[in-house]
Amino acid sequence: MNTLDANRREFLKTSGTALAGAAVLPGFLDGIVRKASVPGALADTPTTLISDCAWCGSACGMKATVTNGALTFVEGLPEDIQGGGKMCAKGKAATGYLYDPDRLKYPMKRTNPVKGVGVDAGWVRITWDEALDLATAKLKETIEKNGRDSVMILGLANPDVWARFQNCIGTSNRFDHWDECFLANRVVSTNVIGGFVWGHDFANAKYIVTFGWDVVGKSKVVWARAVTDAKKKGAKIVSFNPYKAAGTSVVADEAISIRPGSDLAVVNAMIHVILAENLYDKAFVEGLTNFPQYETEIRAHFAPYTPEWAEALSDVPAETITRIAREFATHGPAIAPIHKKTPSANYANGSETTFAITILNVLAGTIDRPSGRYFPRTHTIPGIDAIVPPPAYPTKSGVDIVGRHRHPFLKAVGSGMFSCLADGLRKNPGKIQMGIITRYSTMAFPNPPEVEAELKKIPFTVVCDIFPNEIIDLADVVLPSALYLEVSDLVARDHHAPYKMTVVRQPVVPPQFETKPLGSILLAWGLKAFPEYWKNPDGTPINMGYVLDEKTKRAGLGANFAEMKAKGFVKEVAPFVPRTTFPTASGKINIYVKAFADAGFEPLPTWKQKRDVPSSQYPFYLLTIIPPMHIRNTTENNRITNEIKGTNEVFINVQTARGLGISEGDTIKVRSRVGEIQVPARLTEAIRPDCVLVPHGFGHQSRLMTAAYGKGAKDAILVPGQSMDDILARKDVGGAACIMDAVVSIAKA
Amino acid sequence: MSTYGFLVDLGLCISCSACEAACKTWNNVPTGRNVRWRRVIDQVIGVWPQVSAYGVSMACNHCADASCVKACPSGALAVRAADGIVLLDKAKCIGCRYCESVCPYGAPQYDATEKKMSKCTMCVDRIDAGKQPACADTCPTGALQFGKLVDLDRKGVKQIPNFAEPSYTNPSIRFVPKEG
Repeated sequence: MNTLDANRREFLKTSGTALAGAAVLPGFLDGIVRKASVPGALADTPTTLISDCAWCGSACGMKATVTNGALTFVEGLPEDIQGGGKMCAKGKAATGYLYDPDRLKYPMKRTNPVKGVGVDAGWVRITWDEALDLATAKLKETIEKNGRDSVMILGLANPDVWARFQNCIGTSNRFDHWDECFLANRVVSTNVIGGFVWGHDFANAKYIVTFGWDVVGKSKVVWARAVTDAKKKGAKIVSFNPYKAAGTSVVADEAISIRPGSDLAVVNAMIHVILAENLYDKAFVEGLTNFPQYETEIRAHFAPYTPEWAEALSDVPAETITRIAREFATHGPAIAPIHKKTPSANYANGSETTFAITILNVLAGTIDRPSGRYFPRTHTIPGIDAIVPPPAYPTKSGVDIVGRHRHPFLKAVGSGMFSCLADGLRKNPGKIQMGIITRYSTMAFPNPPEVEAELKKIPFTVVCDIFPNEIIDLADVVLPSALYLEVSDLVARDHHAPYKMTVVRQPVVPPQFETKPLGSILLAWGLKAFPEYWKNPDGTPINMGYVLDEKTKRAGLGANFAEMKAKGFVKEVAPFVPRTTFPTASGKINIYVKAFADAGFEPLPTWKQKRDVPSSQYPFYLLTIIPPMHIRNTTENNRITNEIKGTNEVFINVQTARGLGISEGDTIKVRSRVGEIQVPARLTEAIRPDCVLVPHGFGHQSRLMTAAYGKGAKDAILVPGQSMDDILARKDVGGAACIMDAVVSIAKA
Repeated sequence: MSTYGFLVDLGLCISCSACEAACKTWNNVPTGRNVRWRRVIDQVIGVWPQVSAYGVSMACNHCADASCVKACPSGALAVRAADGIVLLDKAKCIGCRYCESVCPYGAPQYDATEKKMSKCTMCVDRIDAGKQPACADTCPTGALQFGKLVDLDRKGVKQIPNFAEPSYTNPSIRFVPKEG
């Protein structure tokens, strides 16, 4: 029996043979064996706890069933309108993460000084104290000798405890994946509607048009459910996508093929039609936007973007564009969702595409309206700094190796720029002396080999993670973090929040092995490295339980966290009152963004070609998708989701393949100007003949991920990175990462 | 005669595989043995650009004339008299794989570790507790539905392209074909 493949009930039946696995799974087996050895313990009544699924930002409420101390099953929380009682494959596979035998189990340090992805680090187990003492000594020494900016953080700016720790370090070299996701959308939305919002109300829409963003295929339950609910109620769904097996195209009434990267042309042409025929929502546009002030400029701007012009760029017939534009404006309420990755990060024109789609929604008059993109109504949960105010933080230089400070809008957000990181490290040799990396694989970057080559030059790197992905091979010290199933928090969601609601996150089982929640790790590390910031005024260490109690109380969720745990889920159903002013400087929506013009950018979405276009050498557009049962670079080692989809392939149109003598299953060399991968051919009629598609998330090279290791290939190897010079040269207001902006050749290996 | 069945609405199945993950975790089906009681089979019909793409979530169809039951020499496979659910008694299974060879749907699967067959129970334990099978219970879009066959007959048809001829085993599955 493969004990590493253990699942709970299966294990209980065969505990005798599985005991050999005890050394591998100490925490988990300890619990099971101890309980199972007590007569009658197996008759324990299963306990059900309310918590949330943390795999995506929608954080569906869930009920976790715990039997004999082990998590056995999770199911959706029906009263929560995110999941509505449903969960996706990623959420359902909870036991696969919790009991993944490959999890990082205890702090470790490297003994092999040679770093490289796929090179054995020679890990040895150390205690938490040793690990944090080592990390603290290096951190203090680095800051003292080389300054705060010589420490680089790859990690999000949240949660609040992590932000506090980052502020203690005081580096401006903090980067995250935002540019590959929604950074362009954030910059555009902040300047147009006054804020970046996740809220989309699909279920009340009568007309839904998607450009590039496969809102359904992403399989976030909240949106897959809402879009299909709208469909059941008779809404029309139109999906523009070069791949017709994408989820949204599957459920769409019309799945329209479009040339990759030309969405902007079609959207601008739709705006052209709606303006020319005066089909926009007059009360909304004339009353709540700056359209009256800039009407001349706006009409003049869109006048040349005719449907005929867009047809030549997009291959979408002009009459189709005209018809969809009219339907969108008159068969509403209508929504054109705009979220993350696609289309805002895929191509060099992502910011403009996002800008145009945002304007399309404004013209439909559905911003912050039922059926539209709206500002979520959420509980305000204070951060740790509001509860235990810190001493003044060190001042940040505001200058980073990537050059965000050279771009007014990217400087203002201060996030992102994974797409420029290799370039930034290369241009600043020796600048970064220490790295701290939380929850990122090198697979999260375009052209991973390029960034790996730079990251391994950093003299000392601390990685805090749950699973041993590729980044571990470049680390010096590893801190094992607990899973969402093992920690406490309050989660006010914003993906679909027409009224306030918060779900509890609580440990359904204690942290396995020697893992610790991120908050506990940072508190312990903070007390060593920056003690004055991690103590109360009376000198005692901050009590995270107290912080959680205060958060609960101040957010109005209960007297303390214990009460919130008992409630599980709090909702305050209230009527949705649409905004009549928006959080912009003028209180009105900016269709024409003067702030962009003032800073030397285009004030309206202006046509721009994507970066890489097909040539005789590289004749095919590269498409990628994240398969719906996976979270990018994260869930591939889960035994359950890995079995559903454990590797990748290249999807090629049947006619295209025939022309090249390619048959189903042939090994194919896919080559771009920066790299080459080999994957098997999968022939399909569902893709444009000038495109090939390689699903993302496969090709893990960490040998410690025993289920995912060596299966498939990284699509990102084909995608060029970029620099801040590139972004500034194309006057890209949102710094799109171009994560799908590549062209390739294909040939039999 | 089958009381219960599944219905797959092809216009709603997005191949997210939540059904398979739910099946796996509720029933504790071991991973790594290529034993997958429920799977989504991706279909693409037509020639580009006139194509219709969809997923078909498929498990044991608990056929009224189950070929697996007829083929089983050990009596391990049997139909539950009350409602027609086809169940495998592992204690009786001799791992001869006859059922595997006669099932048109690949429902009984061989577990090489146990040297026995393994198959969907329609979550009979959940049905007996008044719940939906785990797969249909979690389906985010409502593409996979569970219900009484008499009700499903009003909603769907018996045959779609590439599906084995239903008159052979009389499977308890219905489909809402995809429009367009």
